[in-house]
Parts: sequence; C-alpha cells; structure tokens
Amino acid sequence: MCAHWRKLRVREARAASSWHASGAPDIVGVRGINLHVEPGEFISIVGQSGTGKSTLAKLLFAEERPSKGQIVIGGWDISNIRPREVPLLRRQIGVVFQDFKLLQKKTVFENTAFALEVAGVRPSRIREIVPQVLRIVGLDDKLHRYPLQLSGGERQRAAIARSLVHRPKILVADEPTGNLDAINAREIIDLLKKINSFGTTVVLVTHNREIVNGLRQRVVMLSNGEVASDVEHGRYKLA
Amino acid sequence: MTLIRIIKFAFQNIARNVWLSVITVSMLVMTLLTVNILLTLNVLANTAVESVEERIDVTVYFKDGTNPDLVAGAQASLIGLSQVRDAVRIAPEEALARFRARHEDDEAILSALDEVGENPFSYSLVVSARDASDFPTILSALENPSFAEFIEQKDFEDYEEVIGSISRVTQSVRWLGAVLAAVFLFISILIVINTVRVAIYIYREEISIMRLVGASSAFIRTPFWLEAVIYSLVATFITAGIAYPVLVSLERYADTFFYPANAGVLDFYLANGLLIFGLEFLILAVVNILSASLAMRRYLKV
Repeated sequence: MCAHWRKLRVREARAASSWHASGAPDIVGVRGINLHVEPGEFISIVGQSGTGKSTLAKLLFAEERPSKGQIVIGGWDISNIRPREVPLLRRQIGVVFQDFKLLQKKTVFENTAFALEVAGVRPSRIREIVPQVLRIVGLDDKLHRYPLQLSGGERQRAAIARSLVHRPKILVADEPTGNLDAINAREIIDLLKKINSFGTTVVLVTHNREIVNGLRQRVVMLSNGEVASDVEHGRYKLA
Repeated sequence: MTLIRIIKFAFQNIARNVWLSVITVSMLVMTLLTVNILLTLNVLANTAVESVEERIDVTVYFKDGTNPDLVAGAQASLIGLSQVRDAVRIAPEEALARFRARHEDDEAILSALDEVGENPFSYSLVVSARDASDFPTILSALENPSFAEFIEQKDFEDYEEVIGSISRVTQSVRWLGAVLAAVFLFISILIVINTVRVAIYIYREEISIMRLVGASSAFIRTPFWLEAVIYSLVATFITAGIAYPVLVSLERYADTFFYPANAGVLDFYLANGLLIFGLEFLILAVVNILSASLAMRRYLKV
C-alpha cells in the first residue's frame, strides 16, 4: 500500500445511525458530510453524544453503509463495498473502541495474535510480529496476562496493539479514552500520537474536550449529523 | 494454516457446548439406528419370503401298485412345465426310510409301523413351484387324464397366503419405521439448528471481534459447517459400533429361526457396511450442513 492509501475522503455522505429501527422514521446519523483527510493526518471528530460521530467512524470501516454520497479510502470507493471485500478493508484499517473488545479468555499475546490468525498468517510470522507491536504499545512485559489482570489503560493498549498488527494505514479510535481515568487517557493519546508519528493516519472520535484541546491538531466538530466546523489546529468549543 | 485454525475453532465449538453436542449426537444416532433397523427388517423379510418360497411344494401320492413308469412319465410331464422348479420322485422304500428317520425317537409310531408289517407307502412326487402364484397351474396340470386317476392324494399348503401375510406385516413395519425415521430426522434438524444457534450465541463476542479484525465470512462460517460434519461422523461411528454386536446376536437367533437357511443380515452388512454407513454419513452430513446454514442465515450476521 502506498502513501495515498492513508488518504481518506468522505463526500456528501449520509447514513442512518446504527440505532435506526426498521419501520421507524428515517433517523439520520450523518448527512452532507464532506471531509478530506490527508495521509499522516491526526484528526479529531468531536461533538456531543448523538451528533453522528460513531456513525461517521462506522462508515470508515464499513460497519455502516452510506445511503447517499461517497466514502473513498486511498482511492477505493467503499460506499457500495461488497461483503466479501469488507475483511480486506478491515485489514487495512485499525479500529479501537471504548470497551476494548478483548477476548477475556485469551492472553494479551493471544488477543493480539487473533487478528493475524483469522487472516491466515503463519504462526512463525505471528511470533515475530506480535512481540514487536506489543513493544510499541509498552506491553512487552505483559504478554501472558489476561485482560482482567490488566488496568483499563493496559487493556486499551492491548486493543491498540491488535489493531496495529496488520500495519494499518488508518487507525480509527472511537472514544478510546471513554473508560479511562485522566492519566491513562493521556497515555493512550500519547500512544496514538506515537503511532501517527510513524505515518499512520489517525481518526480520533471523542467528546473529551481536554484531550482535543491538548492535541492542537485538526478538529472536525459535528452537530446534528453535519459538520459544524473543521479547523486546522483547532480546539473543542462547547456550543 | 487457515484450515487447521478452522478445525480448531470447530472442535472448540463442540467442547464449549459439550452437553449440547452429546444430545445432538445422541439424536443423530437414534435416527441412524432407526434407518438401520429398517434395513435389517428388510433383509429379514426378504430372507423369510425366499425361505417360504423355497418350501413351496405339492406332494402327490399315487395309489398303491401304480406302475413306476407312469410315475416317471408324470414326473417328466411336470418338469416340462415352466412353473415347476423341480419334481422329485420318491419310491416307497425311500419314503419308508425317511419316515423312520423322522420318527426315530417316537417308539409308538415305529411299533405301529411294525404292526402293519408291509410298507404302507406308495410312490409320490414332490413338486416345487417357482413362485407361490404358480400353484393353480401346477394343480391343473395334475388333472392330466393320463395319470390323474392314479393319484390318491394331493398335499399342499396355501403358501401364497403365508407370503402375503409376511409382506403385509413387513410393509406395515416399514411404513412405521419410515415415519419414525422421518420424525427423528426432523427432531435432529431442529436440534442441530439449536446447537449452532447456541454456539453462535456463545461465540458472539469472538465473532464480532473476528469481523472487526478482518476475518472472512467463510472463516467465520466454516467451523459451524465443520461442526455439523463432525457430529454426523461421530454419530455414524457410534451407530456402526452399536449395530455390529447387535447384528451378531441377532444373526444367531435369526439363523435358528430360518434353519437350514442363513438369515443373512450379518453377511449383508459385512458386504455392504461401508457403502451403507458411508451413504448414511453423507446424507446426514448434507442435512446437517443445510441445518447449520439455516441457523447461520437466521442468527449469524456476517
């Protein structure tokens, strides 16, 4: 994958939010969104709850499909992505969630290796990649711990490690600090900055004002499913 | 490598739902056993019909002093009929010897025979038919004027009725068995669907993470299909394991019943066992794969 793969474009996207009930009136998650993210950018998507931040994140890794508009990732229009192509997309985009989504019965090593196993990577290659990635996130001394034996921050690091094993060009972090205290949240953001410094485009979805203001990076603010502001080196101002 | 991981996931599915797996396999075994009981019954019924058909005969007793040449002529005339399998001529001496041999333990009969002094038996012909339905033709052939007046007695049983009874009973049991097998199969399908549904529920977290990290749909689905095939394979082996000793015992009893013929059930299974159990496994595996697909279509969103 070349550098332009890290580029991301959302054009006039419109999608129903994930909690859209069938038969109910069309509840729009996002509408008329226009975003163009350059390779290696660190962009924060902010806004209050229910403004469409998570819907926008889901559009990026094809968990949601736009009802209108276009999502282009590195030249690949994923607006009408076929189901069998979704796994290929997800091996190119790392995703991190607020609730970590770790398997409780697997160790840190196994959780991280899981992403490679399901992609059919050879065990020898897995034994090579996983320790490297766990070193980057600072969990190389906790390979054999289970999620319950880790702090919240460490769990999120494990989740980030798992999202990095495929060397994604884009990392989407949906409220990664939502379950963490201020110190752990800071550490996770530092880790995301470190990953960004390696050239990975980072899309951070958050409603944490302090974190966004501390980053001094591009800030896209959503309001009622629309882009309310898009500022280079911006701040998160409450409406 | 992917195949090994898929196999690993399939066995994990089975291990995590061990009791459900036991119930599923038990139900499949019940279905296969019912099918095999039906097959065994079929073999036994065929043996019974063949055995009865082989015994279809008419014994024609000629009057005392009938010329042996006339009996031989009657024998030749009957053998010439296409409906007659064989016609054996029994001389009075041979008939007496057979009678004595048959009643060697019956002192009363033997002493009564000695009382008579002379050989009370005359010439006889044992005429066997090819089929029970050939009786009327054979009986009318015996009305031939050239030897009819020398016939003292015709002794036969209505085997057609016996065969008819066997066929009717067998048919009823076959129907009952088929209905029973269909019911078991239906229950098996429901149980397999439920087993896969529960496995999907237990695995929901793992499945959602698999999807998230880029597992293909085939990678997620194949363990469930494989699980269905493993259930079918285990059920087939267990059924074969149960069937063999049962068939050996059954054969012993059935042989006594059909003596001197052989019941043939064990021979049938030894000759066709691989084909029978192979086919049963294949059919069961296909049905279970379809059931698993149905469950995945309904409950697995990938």
